[in-house]
Amino acid sequence: MVNMYGVTKVFPGNVEALRGVNLNIDKGDFVFIVGPSGSGKSTLLSLIYRGTVPTRGHVLVAGRNVARLRWRDVPMLRRRIGVIFQDYKLLPDRSVYDNVAFALEVIEASPKEIEKKVPQALSMVGLAHKASAMPEELAGGEQQRVAIARAIVNDPLILVADEPTGNLDPDTTLDIMDLLCDINVRGTTVVMATHNHVVVDKMRKRVVQLERGMIVRDERWGAYCHEA
Amino acid sequence: MKLRTVKSLSGQAFRSLKKTPSVTSIIVVMACMLVLSSFMLVAVNLTRIGNEFQAGVQIRAFLSPDMPPDAVDRTHAAIQAIPGVASVKYVGKDEALQRLGKQLGENNFFLGDLPRNPLPESFDISLLRAADADRIAAAVLELDEVSDVRYAPKLVDRLVGVLRIFWVVTGIIAVFVLVGASLIVSNTIKLTVFARRKEIEIMKLVGATDAFILFPFVLEGIIIGLLGAGAAAVIVGAGYQGLAKWISSVAPFMPIVTDSGHLGLAIVIMLCFGAAVGLVGSNISTKRYLKV
Repeated sequence: MVNMYGVTKVFPGNVEALRGVNLNIDKGDFVFIVGPSGSGKSTLLSLIYRGTVPTRGHVLVAGRNVARLRWRDVPMLRRRIGVIFQDYKLLPDRSVYDNVAFALEVIEASPKEIEKKVPQALSMVGLAHKASAMPEELAGGEQQRVAIARAIVNDPLILVADEPTGNLDPDTTLDIMDLLCDINVRGTTVVMATHNHVVVDKMRKRVVQLERGMIVRDERWGAYCHEA
Repeated sequence: MKLRTVKSLSGQAFRSLKKTPSVTSIIVVMACMLVLSSFMLVAVNLTRIGNEFQAGVQIRAFLSPDMPPDAVDRTHAAIQAIPGVASVKYVGKDEALQRLGKQLGENNFFLGDLPRNPLPESFDISLLRAADADRIAAAVLELDEVSDVRYAPKLVDRLVGVLRIFWVVTGIIAVFVLVGASLIVSNTIKLTVFARRKEIEIMKLVGATDAFILFPFVLEGIIIGLLGAGAAAVIVGAGYQGLAKWISSVAPFMPIVTDSGHLGLAIVIMLCFGAAVGLVGSNISTKRYLKV
């Protein structure tokens, strides 16, 4: 689903965020990207949804080289990828329903499709009863659920999550992780960057560890820290 | 883009127009368009005056004395064949004397006392473009049968020069107007874009196309540009017709452009400029936020 070959990313000022990264993520995988701040986790994720392009090397998503995509084809790639962030990125002046519907409106989905898919997505994240609430009326965990609903409403192949539990308490974090697992079980590939030891250790999924832009560990059923 | 999307995005553009301080931009665009259209109309009138003057510019070619009739015909044909010559009219000795008599008016009494007609035969040569006068005069003078040529070269040069300068100035003003007004519109749109930057970022992440994101902003810019240009068009339309009427009454010899075709064209150009200003301005302000 995601293949990276010798990927190096250098930002202006000669800041090397990634160095010679090789990574293969299969369809249906659940992968934690761990590592200290500045190790290149967010850069690696943004390469998947083409938030940035590699300086050297190749990134293939669903068989397409993202660096070689024409500018007008980038939106088509992003329609197949759901993205969630630590700060939720919800529109404060729109209701929960409208926030989720927004993802379908901008890709010009029909009103019928929107009416069908938005309630489904909200049910899946357990927020069907709060469809008319405004984001500010929701707790942090609920806001992240809305963001997840928005990310999955278009049935993406991959869900990219950049520290989605960073602002949440431990209980809510586990709720969100259960939700991401459910989404993964339904066939969506999940790639999640996190600092949360508890979550990674509890879930025992594939762990890719980055340090100074390089992959230093890739374990199939790993923990947050290397277990000797 | 689907029709219902266009409707929805257009609604966004109109709602945004009410929120942003777009009246200031409309007034600035109007002022810029007023300056541009004023220069344009003055340039059009000067060109009309110039064209009429140029149409009157003639070269007079005097023939050597005692030319045989076939040499006159040959010379006539040779002059007519020079590129840029509109028409050639033969003026015989008698006709030349009559003309002189008319020009002298009451003072022509002495012409009758002349022992013989001293005036040479000549050709009156009308030109397609006054700017070609020097070249054509030189070519005519090269003919063996022609002894001399007369025309007003300096006046022609000056007129052509003034017209050229005026059109260049109008062109420069058009560029300044396009750049200046675009920046003003851009600043207004920037306020909307900045207020909606988060929305734009999400749009990009969920796969909206640039056209979808740009549409309401570009439409808002074009509306501002068109409203400004439209207001200027009303002022110029009414003002120019009044001014043209007044000039025609006090100086009827001035060939002022009064036909609605020219004025209509000027208004269409202004509206196109207004739309272009909106298009360029909105593109400047949104470009940065599309690079997500």
